[in-house]
Amino acid sequence: MRKQGRKWQAILVIGLVLVMGLAEVASAAEKIVIGALYPMTGRAGRYGIDSVSAAEIAMNEINAKGGVNGRMIDIIFNDSKANPAYSIKVAKRYITEDKVNFLMGVVSSAAGLAVTEVSKENKVIFVGTDHASTALTTEKFQPYYFRVSNNTYQSAAAAALYAKDKKEWKKYYVIGPDYEYGHRTWEDFWMLLGRQRKDVQLVGQAWPKLFEPDYTPYITAILNAKPDVLVTTFWGGDTVAFIKQALPYKLFDKMKFYNYDGGGNYELLEAMPKGLPKGLVLSARHHLNWPDTKQNRDFVANFKAKTGRYPSYAAEGAYAGVYFIAEGVRQAGTAEDPDKLVAAMENLKLKLPEDPEGFTSYMRPIDHQIVQVQAIGETVPNKKFPPATMMLGNWKVFKAEEIIPSVAEIEAARKAVKK
Amino acid sequence: MDGSLLVAQLISGLTSAMTLFLVASGLTLIFGVVNVFNFAHGSFYLLGAYFAYQVVAVSGVNFWAGVLLAALGAGAAGMLMEYFFLRRIYGRAGEAGFQILLTYSFILIIDDVVKMIWGTDYKSISKPEILSGPFSFGEVTMPRYDLVVIVIGLAVAFGMWAAIKKTRFGRNLRAISSNREMASSLGVNVPLTLSLVFGLATALGGLSGALSAPVRTVTPGAGIEVIIGSLIVVVIGGLGNFWGALVGALVIGEVTAFGILFLPQWAILFSYAVMALVLIFRPEGLLMKRGAVG
Repeated sequence: MRKQGRKWQAILVIGLVLVMGLAEVASAAEKIVIGALYPMTGRAGRYGIDSVSAAEIAMNEINAKGGVNGRMIDIIFNDSKANPAYSIKVAKRYITEDKVNFLMGVVSSAAGLAVTEVSKENKVIFVGTDHASTALTTEKFQPYYFRVSNNTYQSAAAAALYAKDKKEWKKYYVIGPDYEYGHRTWEDFWMLLGRQRKDVQLVGQAWPKLFEPDYTPYITAILNAKPDVLVTTFWGGDTVAFIKQALPYKLFDKMKFYNYDGGGNYELLEAMPKGLPKGLVLSARHHLNWPDTKQNRDFVANFKAKTGRYPSYAAEGAYAGVYFIAEGVRQAGTAEDPDKLVAAMENLKLKLPEDPEGFTSYMRPIDHQIVQVQAIGETVPNKKFPPATMMLGNWKVFKAEEIIPSVAEIEAARKAVKK
Repeated sequence: MDGSLLVAQLISGLTSAMTLFLVASGLTLIFGVVNVFNFAHGSFYLLGAYFAYQVVAVSGVNFWAGVLLAALGAGAAGMLMEYFFLRRIYGRAGEAGFQILLTYSFILIIDDVVKMIWGTDYKSISKPEILSGPFSFGEVTMPRYDLVVIVIGLAVAFGMWAAIKKTRFGRNLRAISSNREMASSLGVNVPLTLSLVFGLATALGGLSGALSAPVRTVTPGAGIEVIIGSLIVVVIGGLGNFWGALVGALVIGEVTAFGILFLPQWAILFSYAVMALVLIFRPEGLLMKRGAVG
């Protein structure tokens, strides 16, 4: 075949770098304008698309009842990609050109950390709805930021409480994507579990790259280590690929599979109508079938009616975000004075689809992090939400106050950064 | 650590290698004959996976017929891309730059088209029932399906070699590869051959995607991971060298598999480290003759 030169090798390497860049994004005065930042493309696109639909549902519900203080809500959408630099650009344009009253959204934590800086500089309130890095509410906290979905600390704390009572879970193995989210989700859990159990042991860990297509070599290594529990911090398609590839090795008969932050997302249950094993221990930030309240049933049914599909967990976060802004404006009596809004929003209570009977989500002034109940379940046969044939069940529910970092812990984390 | 584990790891590395090889061999074939570096090659893997989903899971066709149809479909899409787009930039001054832009933009286009047609949720297809379980000999257990993938990969490697060496079509390929004008003046239908090569190569990418659909994530963007792996493979093996793609794929598959076994925290480093070493000490690739560079 043709002989070719170093020039081609150079072009090839440039191209490789290029390709890797893809892998990983009425008049204004009367309306309350929310600038929404959601990715519509790439692997996180599903979360963005679901978030936009849910935000529209919330907006229509509020506007149908006459809006807030006589003003209608308007949301403008723009593909923010999952990319920090691009998200900053969109957020700045929203503020200077579209004169938005609020910023809302962002799926990627890296992008969230970038947008919170824009919010701080411009004193425009930013309501985070899906990104989960604890840093935004602790060491990178700024007063104009609020988050209305659970962060990774809360899922990890609930997971540690769940694992604490499993006396037979002694040998742990962890596998997760090799970036901030994958590591942080695990480290918080392992630190919290270590405080309560002295007899647990880490027998191995592996950190494949995010979106790794082939986990087979990892699976044989995990089997060889013979753990009691396999913790995974994968999300989305990576969980699907891992499970598919582990099935023929009968991995799920040999150890418990535990994914407590993103594993219980409906997109996973839906992706494997055949073959998803029973007894996987999973959770997510919102569940279609828990809590079984009228509000949650209505939310899921309305989403299905509007889009023809069931929502992934990001949707409920965006729905909460719009209601949070509306309620903040109603109580502050303004959408223009950021400091009055902060004062109102800091103490807001909001009944959300993911709140069980007798509990109402509320904002904590110290970190502007919403405080919510977390439920962890196991996969059980359930055909009420097709095409999924397994849903979560056998729930264990963890009280909101038991899974948040204490005020002292937050202050210590912030102090450590300032030094 | 016992022997059976080493064998199991060897086999899982071999499976990864074969999936990579099917994509990388097409990439290297296109480069060697058509002289185009097709960055969009991973997107034909993606198309193969979605075509297989459409034919097998939606229309209910037999699995193997579906895989074959998916490969043919990806090949047809590749020929369309070659005929309507790439053909316009052959021989243009600064062709390499146009190639990067054009093929790179096809990554984005194909991703978006896939998303428009099939949406963003993860798709699944089932393996044939008989292949869904494990296969055991002695202490070693592995998925039966993986075994089939290995056999298919080796069969394709042998078939391609035979086709290039022994058939009239293969002779034409080699002629075009060494001198396109000369081949043309000797009566080889060059444009047709180039289209066919492009179709064959993209069909191999599609075959890889279709075979991977039951065990991997079928989602827009899945082509990106594959093209990155294949680029590393062809850099290691030598661009344009068919056996280089096989050797490169085997090296990457096994280095990664054993890296995971011994140093799992560092696993993703290994394939890049091997590529860096090859670029430093043998920038023309392992299987290219020295002095071929220049």
